[in-house]
Amino acid sequence: MLADWTQQEVLTGTTIMAVEYNGGVVIGADSRTSSGTYVTNRTQDKLTPLTEYIYCCRSGSAADTQAIADHVRYYLDFSRISQGREPTVRYAAHVMQSILYNNRDNLSAAVIVAGWDEVNGGQVYCIPLGGLLVRQPMAAGGSGSTYIWGHLDAQFKPGMTDTECQEFVAKSVSLAIKRDGSSGGVCRLAVINRSGVQRRIIMHEDLPKSYDG
Amino acid sequence: ISQKYIMSRYDRAITVFSPDGHLFQVEYAQEAVKKGSTAVGIRGGNCAVLAVEKKAAAKLQDDRTVRKMALLDNHVAMAFAGLTADARILINRARVECKSHRLTVEDPVTLEYIARFVAGIKQKYTQSTGRRPFGLSTLLVGFNVDGTPHLYCTDPSGAYNEWLANAVGKNDKTVREFLEKMYTPESVADEVGAIKLALRAILEVVQSGAKNVDLGVMRCRDGVPEWEILPAERLSALMAEIEAEREAEAEKKRARKE
Repeated sequence: MLADWTQQEVLTGTTIMAVEYNGGVVIGADSRTSSGTYVTNRTQDKLTPLTEYIYCCRSGSAADTQAIADHVRYYLDFSRISQGREPTVRYAAHVMQSILYNNRDNLSAAVIVAGWDEVNGGQVYCIPLGGLLVRQPMAAGGSGSTYIWGHLDAQFKPGMTDTECQEFVAKSVSLAIKRDGSSGGVCRLAVINRSGVQRRIIMHEDLPKSYDG
Repeated sequence: ISQKYIMSRYDRAITVFSPDGHLFQVEYAQEAVKKGSTAVGIRGGNCAVLAVEKKAAAKLQDDRTVRKMALLDNHVAMAFAGLTADARILINRARVECKSHRLTVEDPVTLEYIARFVAGIKQKYTQSTGRRPFGLSTLLVGFNVDGTPHLYCTDPSGAYNEWLANAVGKNDKTVREFLEKMYTPESVADEVGAIKLALRAILEVVQSGAKNVDLGVMRCRDGVPEWEILPAERLSALMAEIEAEREAEAEKKRARKE
């Protein structure tokens, strides 16, 4: 008699977010991976490097997104060597999109590609299920994002500083974790700009507080 | 318009044995290499150096686009002597293989692996119908994951060997003899020593001047491989030092004679 969770695909039922600011991007995610009701990993890292300056936030099937991120990283590594310069965020997003779109029937993956490049500074590209690609100043994804769209629409304003963005992302992820059963654990943050990536982790007890009802 | 592909046209191998056991096409390819501009490789104690002869660019040509050294991966670089167009193909195949290796086995290639890979492609073309061998010899330098520097050389036949120091292209014999005389592990123990030896070696057969030579160094900084092509000012300064050292040696010789 096998337990229910052993028969279910491992999903990153998730909250992921990315926000552009002048000079870079701030990305954030929760850390819960679940298999049905079993939390297989409560400290999962969903912010995956594609290059030194470009990250992707992964949601959907953990296996699919990990394999795809590996492939994208391979293409971008090759591009870095043969072009002799860092790939642009746009290029990374298009490589990601081409894999997600062309294999849409067999994949369950939605990602946000975000990073910094010389040409256009900080950029966020959202690639939901199906393989649509769109650049947005702020993007959120995963099951948890549905609970916070109202909050995001009300609180987001363009032209925030990177500190304001970090607070905004932390607060939003925290609210989503509260309401979404498939999101939980800690909040992982990363700031990507000209100097590279700085990563932060906000432990569960240190997440921004809100009305506990 | 449908084109009938006539198999028989491509049936004949170009590289076949001669009665006395030669593969003439391969040997002719090696002749093509001997016409190419010189490239020198040195394995130092903590670095690996490549120096290449820069052919004078035509007046209207942008000489930044003529690069005889190529980075294959973060930790592997290659210089060559021979047909530039052929080199482009091999460089591309090697670059893809380097990154593909990282994806599948999650480790950077070792120098031996990538040398074997490049040599393997070259060998295939000495045994395929309708194809000719690649007209180039390569010098591959870089660091393995364990932090050791290496230098490998491949030739049109598909043979590859590891070297402490080697030269390919025009006057390679002269340069190699110079290296056999002058190379000691102590003289190349540090980066400056290795660079100077590479410069001295290539200056045996190339006119002195920063515009005639390109020099690249693969070094390992805190475990992270770094590839640098020396800027012209640094090259000029080093060449001036070498000139001065040569002068001093000549002086000493004259003084001893008297």
